[in-house]
Amino acid sequence: MGVTKQDTYIRVHIFFRFSVPSAPFSVQAQVGTCDLSSLINSLLNEGDGEKTNVDFDFLIDGEFLRLNLDKHLENKGISTESLVDIEYIEKQQAPEPEDSLVHDDWVSCIQGCKDCILSGCYDNTVRLWSVKGSPFLTIPGHSAPVKCVQWITDDDSTVKTFMSGSHDQTIHIWQWDSESNSVDCVAACRGHAGSVDCINIDHTKQRFCSGSWDKMLKLWSAECEAVEDEDEEDIPHKKRKTSRRKVQTRVPILTLSGHNEGISAVEWIDTNQICTSSWDHTIKTWDLEQAEEISSLQGSKVFLDMSYSPLNRQIVTGSSDRHVRLWDPRSSDGALVKRIYTSHTGWVSSVCWSKTNEFLFISGSYDSVMKLWDTRSPKAPLYNMTGHDEKILAVDWSIPSSLLSGGADNHLKIFQYKQ
Amino acid sequence: MDLFHDKSASESDGDTTDSEESVYSGLEEEPDTSDDEEVKNDDKSDSENGDNSESDDDESDKENVIDNDTEDKDVNEEDTNTVNVAAKNKYNDKNNTRTTSQTVEDEYYHDSSDEEDIRNTVGNIPMEWYRDYPHIGYDVEGRKLIKPKKGDELDEFLQRMDNPDYWRTVTNKMTGQNVLLTKEDVSLIEGLMLQRTPGGAKETYEPWIDFFTHETMIHPVTNRPADKRSFIPSKWEKLKVGQMVHAIKMGWMKRSTEKKEKEDDEPKYHMLWKDDEENEATRRYRANIPAPKATLPGHVESYNPPPEYLFTKEEEEQWLSQEPEERRMNFIPKKYDSLRLVPAYSSFVKERFERCLDLYLCPRQQQTRMNINPEDLIPKLPKPKDLQPFPTQQAIIYKGHTDIVRCISADPTGQWLASGCDDETVKFWEVLTGRCMKTLKVSGTPRCIAWNPNPAICLCLVAVDQSLLVLNPGLGDKILISNTDSMIQNKETSEPAGKSPPLSWTVCEDDQYDEGYRFILSHPKEITHVSWHGKGDYFASVMPKGDSKAVLIHQLSKQRSQNPFSKPKGLVQCVYFHPIRPFLFVATQRYIRVYNLLKQELTKKLMTSCRWVSSMSIHSGGDNLVIGSYDCKLTWFDLDLSTKPYQTLRHHKKAIRQVSFHKRYPLFASASDDGTVIVCHGMVYNDLLQNPLIVPVKVLHGHKITKDLGVIDCEFHPTQPWVFSSGADGTIRLFT
Repeated sequence: MGVTKQDTYIRVHIFFRFSVPSAPFSVQAQVGTCDLSSLINSLLNEGDGEKTNVDFDFLIDGEFLRLNLDKHLENKGISTESLVDIEYIEKQQAPEPEDSLVHDDWVSCIQGCKDCILSGCYDNTVRLWSVKGSPFLTIPGHSAPVKCVQWITDDDSTVKTFMSGSHDQTIHIWQWDSESNSVDCVAACRGHAGSVDCINIDHTKQRFCSGSWDKMLKLWSAECEAVEDEDEEDIPHKKRKTSRRKVQTRVPILTLSGHNEGISAVEWIDTNQICTSSWDHTIKTWDLEQAEEISSLQGSKVFLDMSYSPLNRQIVTGSSDRHVRLWDPRSSDGALVKRIYTSHTGWVSSVCWSKTNEFLFISGSYDSVMKLWDTRSPKAPLYNMTGHDEKILAVDWSIPSSLLSGGADNHLKIFQYKQ
Repeated sequence: MDLFHDKSASESDGDTTDSEESVYSGLEEEPDTSDDEEVKNDDKSDSENGDNSESDDDESDKENVIDNDTEDKDVNEEDTNTVNVAAKNKYNDKNNTRTTSQTVEDEYYHDSSDEEDIRNTVGNIPMEWYRDYPHIGYDVEGRKLIKPKKGDELDEFLQRMDNPDYWRTVTNKMTGQNVLLTKEDVSLIEGLMLQRTPGGAKETYEPWIDFFTHETMIHPVTNRPADKRSFIPSKWEKLKVGQMVHAIKMGWMKRSTEKKEKEDDEPKYHMLWKDDEENEATRRYRANIPAPKATLPGHVESYNPPPEYLFTKEEEEQWLSQEPEERRMNFIPKKYDSLRLVPAYSSFVKERFERCLDLYLCPRQQQTRMNINPEDLIPKLPKPKDLQPFPTQQAIIYKGHTDIVRCISADPTGQWLASGCDDETVKFWEVLTGRCMKTLKVSGTPRCIAWNPNPAICLCLVAVDQSLLVLNPGLGDKILISNTDSMIQNKETSEPAGKSPPLSWTVCEDDQYDEGYRFILSHPKEITHVSWHGKGDYFASVMPKGDSKAVLIHQLSKQRSQNPFSKPKGLVQCVYFHPIRPFLFVATQRYIRVYNLLKQELTKKLMTSCRWVSSMSIHSGGDNLVIGSYDCKLTWFDLDLSTKPYQTLRHHKKAIRQVSFHKRYPLFASASDDGTVIVCHGMVYNDLLQNPLIVPVKVLHGHKITKDLGVIDCEFHPTQPWVFSSGADGTIRLFT
């Protein structure tokens, strides 16, 4: 009688991230996450009197256990004879759909800040919402669909500034007084010869970068308050119309050319380095002091969006081939793509890292599903967030507690994220 | 009796004469002359040669004799004198044929000893004792007598064959020399063998009865007269010889000496691989398969088989119930007590016949069958996955049209897409998101739409029924849009004298201008096709029913139209400008004509071998073009190769509506009524020697067939390997 599969046991060593290792266990080979979870629960319950029932996820060599243990080990080529180290962490809780904000037209871009949400719309307006879902303002001003929005201030001050880029080739800098709920256009940045597809502000809030369909990367000054404050002081109770007349026209500090196609995303790596992704299949890193290109990563497909995480210094990109790719911008040789996350069935239009967790990011796709990913689980996302009826054009995770997605069904969906 | 006697006599005479001749070599020619007179006349050299050869033989005989003597000389130097004497004797005395024996006699004469050969003083011992020594004995002085040189078996054989006196040549064991016995010696030996008196007294016991006498008797043994042929020279021999002589003269026949010479001249080669030159007969012989042997009868076939071979009842029933082909054996074993009770075998004839059939049908020769995999005969094409990138999946559906989308065109930067639909609208789309940016209502069905290929000019041509609209869609760079408008307004005014232009340009104003209309070119007939020149200044419009105005060429900067052809041949389907050179491709139903616009002449005429050309696309290099036809054929022309199709692809099941080349990637696509777009890899090499490589890589499904129409138009994205397709189902789809 040979040993059947049922009878095979694997010696595992289960530990929490900080806990001191205890004696190894023997578990059945086919054991899955649920069984391991209940095992941990029973062990924990043995210790203290109170009953807990928490779902756990298990990490083997930095990768999530998604299959049965034996299959996972077989796939990874780990011997079942040896002692297997399994780290357990509390399972990520499912985000819950919270609210849906209805727009008049397609939502092309979103960014949250504290308790406010900024969204750009195809009806040429920028909208301001509270996290709770109530609309603050609808700001007309652009003459073409808005393609990108970005908060400049992220503090709790009553006067907040933000900017928006549009198909009309301009970037407008807006100042919003939350108390009076009035908005002023501070400056209009002109210089692009194509639709402005992406803008990003640096950490000092002094400068920002914009990428456009005209293949140019432009650096602008974000500094506006000093001048504007004076204006504000001079004419404190002016109507918006009059204030708009005084819109200051701004020209770029620096223009960088090097991409062969439109730029789809721009990210600050540090104060003097920025990273851009483009339709010409490349990710380029630029040095602003030298005003030159530092490095270029060659991909095989059009990059539709990119996100950089200062926590783990890695880049995720969304491409026109349904995959989300993880890059290391500092490596210049060997395998440039560190991992490929495949689950979407349409173009991945937007990606965004978590601001708090170095492993988590979200992606939105034309298949109208937003996905929450853990970098350690390349085969399957943690959660799929459905609800959109049409293409998702933008996702955002600037507010750590809420996942935002906007799409071609005119809705902006808010999902609550629980730590 | 007479004859025999005569003959024998003549023979013996001959013998003697021979020996005599050997002495007097080549002196007499009498015997030859009588017979070969004529031959001689024919060819003197031949007869002479023959004579020579005879004399040669004689000489060799003589030499033999002399050789013998010289051997003698070598062996015993002492007796040189005696040998010489013997030789002298021989030459002196013709009748005396004794040579060596006489020498011996001479020895006896000199020496009184009884020994046969006094020279060897080894004594009366068996001579085998000296078998392994080089000497045979010792002479009186005690010196070694060296053995005479002995010929091998071949020499022996030659001696036996050639030497007429061989039979009476014996070897002297003591000396190792050959001794030729004389007649007396022979008769003496014969006498001894017949136990007769050695002295030769013949009438010792009985009187000699002379049975056959030399005298001619009155009653011969046979009364047959001598044949005439024994008196006259043979006629057929003469003929034969004549023939041969003639053949030699004519060079048909080679004399043996000549042959030998020739063979010597030719270099001799050895066939290293003999089997290669194995002739057909041997090969067939070797490859022969013997006929299958009939199996020998066993116990079952016996008339009295052992009981275990006999059928039981069930077996017999089974045998009877089976088909003849299924049966294990074709008879039922039967037992007879004795052989004489066995009846005649009823199926003998049948069996023999079957055997004959078997022999007739069995393979008699090994036939090497060519094992060719049919796959190997197909030329090797690279795998589609090695030809990436090409569109594989549907990415975006552009929804908004409510009827058949007739035509699409992408702007040169690839950000916008224009489409014309049967619902009398023209829509402009954002490629990236699938957003409809602008909708323009037109008065009629847009048949064809074309975006200006020059990225510095923002204009779009729309053919609506009889009018050709020049639109400024107002998308993209604002400066560019305004520049375009100002360029249009500042037209170069240089009116050509004489000819009146075929049609006038109507400048749009007010509302129409705000909507984007810039010009309206009213044509007399329906326009089916428009196309831009690569630089974006000239464009051409096609009116198939316009007779002499079927093809018109318009210039944007001068706002002028001209009619290049007085009368086009056939129904024009579409026209395209050569991307680089001043050529114009005009596709009619059956032919493609290439005109040189500068020289104003026909450069080439391509035979499409299609019934009805529907569409055409020019490769960006300008030397290759593909043609789609309503009879489902996609044809590739290489203008450098010929005016005939380079390759024809029949992958579509229904009419091909549109074909399109990619501007940068080696791709082309064809849209068909069967609802599919087929993407092919079409690599054109810079190397003129290498023909284009065409590999179908992908069939793109997606469009629904409505009203028997599938995909109407397809166009590649200008920068990415993506293809747009528009269908009768009212959608435009992007495949990436």
